[in-house]
Amino acid sequence: MTALQPVPAGTLASLLTAIGSASVRDGGGAVTVPVPAARLETAVHHLAGAGARLADLFATDGDQVTLRLVWGLDTERQYLITETAIDDLEYPPLSDIAPAAFAEECEIYEQFGVRPAGGKPLNRVALPPHAGPDFPRLGHQPAQPPAEVHAPHTVGGQAFEFPFGPVRQVGVESLYYGLVTSGEEIVDLYLFTWHKHRGLEWRLRGRRPAEALFLAERAEGLSATAVAWSVAAAVESALGAEPPPAALLTRGIALELERLYNHAAAMAALCQSTGLSVGQAAAEIALERLLRVNAAVFGHRYLFGVVEAGGVRRGPDLAALQVGLPGGYGELRRAADALLATNSFMDRLEATGIVTTEQARRLGLVGPVARASGVAVDSRVDQPAAPYFGHPPAIAVRGTGDVLARFQVMLDEAAESVRLIGDLAAAGPGTGAAPLPGGGGAGLGWAESPRGEALAWVSLDADGRITRARLRPASVRNWRGFDDAARSQNVFTDIPIIEASFWLTVAGTAR
Amino acid sequence: MSGGSRARAVAASPAARAPEGDVLAARLRQRVASQFGRSLHIRTLDTGSCAVCEQEIRLLAAPHYDLHRLGFFFTPAPRHADLLLVTGPMIRAFDVAARKTYEAMPGPKLVVATGACALGGVYPADAFVYGAVGEILPVDVWIPGCPPSPLALLQGLLVAVDRLAEKVSGLTFTAGGDAEPPAREAER
Amino acid sequence: MPLWFARGLRRGIVTTRYPARPDRSAAGLPTPPAFRAGVIDRRLADRLVAVCPSRALHRDGGVLVFDVGRCTACGRCQEAAPWAVTPSGEFELAGTSPAQFVKQIGLVQEVGQ
Repeated sequence: MTALQPVPAGTLASLLTAIGSASVRDGGGAVTVPVPAARLETAVHHLAGAGARLADLFATDGDQVTLRLVWGLDTERQYLITETAIDDLEYPPLSDIAPAAFAEECEIYEQFGVRPAGGKPLNRVALPPHAGPDFPRLGHQPAQPPAEVHAPHTVGGQAFEFPFGPVRQVGVESLYYGLVTSGEEIVDLYLFTWHKHRGLEWRLRGRRPAEALFLAERAEGLSATAVAWSVAAAVESALGAEPPPAALLTRGIALELERLYNHAAAMAALCQSTGLSVGQAAAEIALERLLRVNAAVFGHRYLFGVVEAGGVRRGPDLAALQVGLPGGYGELRRAADALLATNSFMDRLEATGIVTTEQARRLGLVGPVARASGVAVDSRVDQPAAPYFGHPPAIAVRGTGDVLARFQVMLDEAAESVRLIGDLAAAGPGTGAAPLPGGGGAGLGWAESPRGEALAWVSLDADGRITRARLRPASVRNWRGFDDAARSQNVFTDIPIIEASFWLTVAGTAR
Repeated sequence: MSGGSRARAVAASPAARAPEGDVLAARLRQRVASQFGRSLHIRTLDTGSCAVCEQEIRLLAAPHYDLHRLGFFFTPAPRHADLLLVTGPMIRAFDVAARKTYEAMPGPKLVVATGACALGGVYPADAFVYGAVGEILPVDVWIPGCPPSPLALLQGLLVAVDRLAEKVSGLTFTAGGDAEPPAREAER
Repeated sequence: MPLWFARGLRRGIVTTRYPARPDRSAAGLPTPPAFRAGVIDRRLADRLVAVCPSRALHRDGGVLVFDVGRCTACGRCQEAAPWAVTPSGEFELAGTSPAQFVKQIGLVQEVGQ
């Protein structure tokens, strides 16, 4: 932690007044405010009321369980972390004030045994039903196992409920969800992720940053660069390391290439979900070309192994970038233009899977999903760090919140990514990593993955080993929005279309 | 596939190199492969991957690779499938679903495990995962990679139906030559 | 849909001829390592084992044992000792039994002055 003494302003100042405290720590990528348990509810009310975005909620074990809430003060270009020690087994119910917190409250209960007061039923999330007291947890087993109860839903008329999965269509990840339907209309949809829970956060404990990044990349492989960058940045913030500017330019190029190929893949999935095989083939040609560009520029089709703690392991092959990118993006653009001119395709997208602006804000959604619902959140602009500080992207925003809006946002972002890559490549990217200082610390890191803001919080001991790593890929945040989108006047055949437009992963949610 | 004959690789056949205990398995595989040579239906199974293996598998049907020209097809129904293409480290909570999917496939059938996770790499066996697909399902062919590229997947599928011979048993992964280590190596 | 039909014709065929013909894109893929047996002693072998994040390497006495199946081609062993470890260039790695993936690389007693 640094010795900076900031003059609290804006939301931070009003928060401190609301909870009656002056204690602030600045450093590690965020401003941290210790909040006594008795003041937590007040603090959350205040922050939610001030329009702060709840970006994450997680716990750390120790003498007591410490609850940390990460808030995005996006208009003030700051992350704020409230830190609360929980003495007994309960804390104030937060998801009543910030519905974004419900999935995390469930996760905290099964890992740490502490729950929100009020007795509201909590879902089982990541730990399988047979997980006994010896099953690896980040904390302790709860006194009572979480009920097999989903969040209550309101049903007008008859409805029945059936589980779906985990083995689903061919070529997609396993996912187990409960579907509540009145026949054709979807009333509710809730996920269980234990079939893909590999315990990444548990595995990272005791590891050094270099080993941790190998696993972090594979938490959500389709966001390998983004998740690795968020963890590397958290480590760098914690230890006070500054990656060389050339390495940060390289990270930016890799991240934008990651965005490009993911958006092409989402486009292919959208075509597949609407039954437009010929469009799917065109999108897949673009996707394959972009993956080959990744391989030529960074040595791996999915950009594994680029980010390392302190910098990057590989620099871009700029000649290959110049040769390959225009053709790859050209394919993507031409396929997109043809799709936008195909009415049968567009009809399936309009007014499907609507997420309203209010829902997006309330659930703290991020990424293209939020931006398509009119919430202009983008961590490259809201929380600028190099290289985006010097190369800010234009944020693509639409207002209708349907599948079509998300598709259009992705296309706008793809164009912007190509422009950014050109700028970053001209600014002198390179390889190299700054050495990591010794000593411990804790820090917050982030990167704008193709799906939205990926966050990580890491604490290290004096030996440089991780004592707690919190991974929060964007998929964790956005699946709740998928529930809402599926629920809004949609039918079964719309589910794959909505799923493609969200382009989340189960791996990133389950970790 | 040209004419009426199956494509054959140049590498030597594996039978002479297979360990004793695998001779029976090899013969069974050849019998099975002779029935699948021209038309093979593939069901995929994700036992806990990071999602990238699935993306490479999806690209098998894409124009650049087009598995259909080789007589391979994806099918969502295990009942209709001949080959189970499995990714991931076999998360323990998934083992029942994995076995049910396998058992829902009528014989004869093949299991192909693909990706480093499925072959015992990345995640060691622990309370979360078995660590390898082979702990729960009887695997016939293994395809390494992280992820295995669509070309590697095609080679593996062709090996599974005996249209290509495997070559990995003949690779030593050693490099010849007299490269000198840098001076003062002993001090590193 | 004449739009798509015309586009498809203009685009032409992109399909690989693999396995009938080699595919040039294979050259861009990361591949498992090849080890120069003559320059790896026990000490270097132990360093390589320690640096592998996927448990593909272990040392059994005077032999470095490499499990190709576990290898992710991440390149860390190559970075640790580029004079001793190079890309093998092999991507056709499918095997029909686990034993086919386990490779033994003999170690020298001691390397360097």
